[in-house]
Amino acid sequence: MSETARNRLMLVIAIIMAAIYLFPLYWMYITALKSGSEMFATPPSFWPASPQWSTYAYVWESRSMGLYLWNSLVIAIGAVVIITVLGVGCSYVLARYRNIWVDIGLFLILMLQVLPASLLITPIFVGFSQIGMLNYPRLAVVIAIAAKSMPFFVVLVRATFMAVPMELEEAALVDGNSRVGAFFNIVLPLARNGILVSAILIFMQAFGEFVYSKSMIQAAELQPASVGLNSFMGPNTNEWNNIMAYATMYVTPILAIFVLLQRRIVSGLTSGALK
Amino acid sequence: MTPQIELAGVNKYYGAFHALKNIDLSIAKGTFVALVGPSGCGKSTLLRSLAGLETISDGSLKIAGELMNGVPPRKRDVAMVFQSYALYPHMTVEENLTYSLRMRGIAKAAAKKAAEEVAATTGLSHLLKRYPRELSGGQRQRVAMSRAIIRHPKAFLFDEPLSNLDAALRVHMRKEIRALHDRLHATSVYVTHDQIEAMTMADHVVVMRDGIIEQQGRPLDLYDKPANKFVAGFIGSPAMNFIPAIVGEDGKSLTLDLGSVRQQISIDHQLQPGRRVTAGIRPEHIGITGQGQRSFDVPVEVVESTGSSTFITAATTPELTIVETGRGTVQPGQTIGVTVDPAQVHLFDEASGIRI
Amino acid sequence: MRRILSSVRDGRGFDIVLVAFPLGFLFLMAGLPLIYNVVMSFQEVDMFSLGTFSRPWVGFKNYTDLFAQPETLPILYNTAIFVVGSIAGQFLIGFGLALFFWVNFPGASWLRGLFLVSWVMPGLVVGAIWNWILSGDFGVLNFILKESGIISGNIFWRSDPHYSLYAVIIANVWLGTSFNMILLSVGLSGIPGDLYEAAELDGATAWQRFWTITLPMMRSTIGAIIALGLIFTLQQFDLFAAITSGGPNNSSNVTQYWAWDLSFRQYDFAKGATISVIMIVFVMFASVVYVRSTRHEVRG
Repeated sequence: MSETARNRLMLVIAIIMAAIYLFPLYWMYITALKSGSEMFATPPSFWPASPQWSTYAYVWESRSMGLYLWNSLVIAIGAVVIITVLGVGCSYVLARYRNIWVDIGLFLILMLQVLPASLLITPIFVGFSQIGMLNYPRLAVVIAIAAKSMPFFVVLVRATFMAVPMELEEAALVDGNSRVGAFFNIVLPLARNGILVSAILIFMQAFGEFVYSKSMIQAAELQPASVGLNSFMGPNTNEWNNIMAYATMYVTPILAIFVLLQRRIVSGLTSGALK
Repeated sequence: MTPQIELAGVNKYYGAFHALKNIDLSIAKGTFVALVGPSGCGKSTLLRSLAGLETISDGSLKIAGELMNGVPPRKRDVAMVFQSYALYPHMTVEENLTYSLRMRGIAKAAAKKAAEEVAATTGLSHLLKRYPRELSGGQRQRVAMSRAIIRHPKAFLFDEPLSNLDAALRVHMRKEIRALHDRLHATSVYVTHDQIEAMTMADHVVVMRDGIIEQQGRPLDLYDKPANKFVAGFIGSPAMNFIPAIVGEDGKSLTLDLGSVRQQISIDHQLQPGRRVTAGIRPEHIGITGQGQRSFDVPVEVVESTGSSTFITAATTPELTIVETGRGTVQPGQTIGVTVDPAQVHLFDEASGIRI
Repeated sequence: MRRILSSVRDGRGFDIVLVAFPLGFLFLMAGLPLIYNVVMSFQEVDMFSLGTFSRPWVGFKNYTDLFAQPETLPILYNTAIFVVGSIAGQFLIGFGLALFFWVNFPGASWLRGLFLVSWVMPGLVVGAIWNWILSGDFGVLNFILKESGIISGNIFWRSDPHYSLYAVIIANVWLGTSFNMILLSVGLSGIPGDLYEAAELDGATAWQRFWTITLPMMRSTIGAIIALGLIFTLQQFDLFAAITSGGPNNSSNVTQYWAWDLSFRQYDFAKGATISVIMIVFVMFASVVYVRSTRHEVRG
């Protein structure tokens, strides 16, 4: 088989596999458009007979999605800000040197990455309640998320800094910059893309965070969309079209960002995650 | 006698790019052939086509008389030494050597014995248990060659194997490779961009450019009688001087046009008067004499001495490069007299570059 | 004083400041809770003593109580199955996909990235979607399985104790396969192409090349990926909350969900802490493997 024929065949197979893999997403989108009775049709329909666009408006209103999504946004942005401000400098230093201290630092950071949120939540909850932090529930969640996701950020951004040649920084120092100046004027701008990609990944994680939010935020008006979704789904729930509409509105912004920046995100991950 | 390797009318296309154009090449058993040329000339493509790592679009390729078109590499029974050596980093030297035998199902004990024998001939016996990352460049080279030797292949293919070594080691390994070839009575095809390697190692040199064979033959034949301007300029270091010239009225003399200097010399052929040609003279064939004496004067611009030779650049248009053995007394800024032996002048057609 | 300031601007001080704050923050937010967890597991904690630090010391009582409970061992067993099943599924499918895309036909890299949507979506949403897909009577998975003749009657993925854990495993495999695939692709492309050419000339078939070249050279990558897989799988919580909530009857309960449940549903914080400590030991082991598998280079 010639090379072009083989390439075309593989492309077709790849598209089919991607379609199969992404089927759950498709299912989410069309379930949101089905009417109540069509949802439960047997055999299930693979295309909505009469799309119910009003479901979206209904769910938005009745579940105060605007409020929930706003909370999710606040929490996510707060976490990203803290992580970026603290993490960039840290990963810069960890990328610049290679000695026993750096090894220890990296090891500690990697160790901290492994702890599941569902385990840490117990002492964090107890500790926060002792110092009264739970009176500011969203802030508490932001800080907890920052601690959880920072190691991942540091690992990714460290790889970005390692790709910036040391010679550039040395040239800047010889040209008269202080370390501070060299960092802000030369190194940081070159690492901007990698930092951006990592920040976006962290944002996506924080936007969907569940454990900390559910455990620490009791007031309904402060809860993010993830907790809202969870309360939607009781044990005997059957308003799946509403649930899927909720999920659609929750997830589509993230999907849109991802599809737009997909190449950058993949290359950021591939250079960072394994090193 | 059937040639060991035979290519007839071979063409290769990469999409629209015509990489190999109607190659005809016949290599007898036991010959050491060098494929030489500038980057992109197709020599590596040709080598890889011999190995089967590239498929040819057209023409026939035979190894030991058997047609190899469409035959996958592992069935061709040729061995290749890669530019990067391609040693398996996760295997010891011994495992690297026995790999091909193990893939063919040969028993471990027999393979081990074969590896030990080959290692003895290439001086690797004490390194059998080491890993490639623990070896020096020269040692890795030898492992790469031993890996090829152990298979007793129909042909050895070398893809610029010495380019990763430093200069001194290169000179040493050149001799080793050639000695190995002789000892094994092998058939070798050796790709290099370095014409000195080609000249010193090969029985038969093939000069390539832009996918065609410009000239092939014995090394000194290419040196003495280059078929065109390209081969003339490629073989020999420093490169041949090319001077525009006009044939004189009698058809038996040539006026060399060196800008400020014009010199008439006699030539052996009878040519059309007034014809424009390119005259080629090798730097080593320009003699430095006293002034006068059937010579012409040129101003000296640069003098470079390596101790064993002196390179003189004359400020003419075009520049003239002259090589003198030993330490000369010429100084920059001087004007010296040079002579040219008409028998050493090569004539090329001005437009096509082909030898007259 | 001036020495310190100039060091901050120009020397070691700069580095130390940049690292000290984040590490301090991390230590505070992750290290301390860790220690606190261990301490709490040795104490008796209830709703009222939540606010104080010094609580009655009960030694190993929490641990012994825990192992005396009937559900402990099954839950540990479930966790093991969950981890093994998830990692196996994610790795094998991910490796297959990575090998497929490694051929690198036009369009491969873009399509490959598309798979990552499963990894960036919030876990709860993924759980909700799969919850609906796995529905017993109306879920589309059952429909497809029946149409292709693989099963004859509906499987009640979420409510049947035999299948509930596997429901979550299926969703988790979908979630994590793409991440595995991307990392494995990186590992594959790190193998120099001329090794394969040399092997081919040496007589190796495609199958032999896979076993003697690809797999051995991927060893450290595979080690890192499996360790990472272990770490992430043990962190997986959202799917359980969305699909089965650990039920029915603890049949799909795993330690990380159970720990949270004990603390926040049953208000038995001491037990929650106790399980955490046990799990953290396992997780630490995995992370040691991960760190050792990834060797770092100095900045270039």
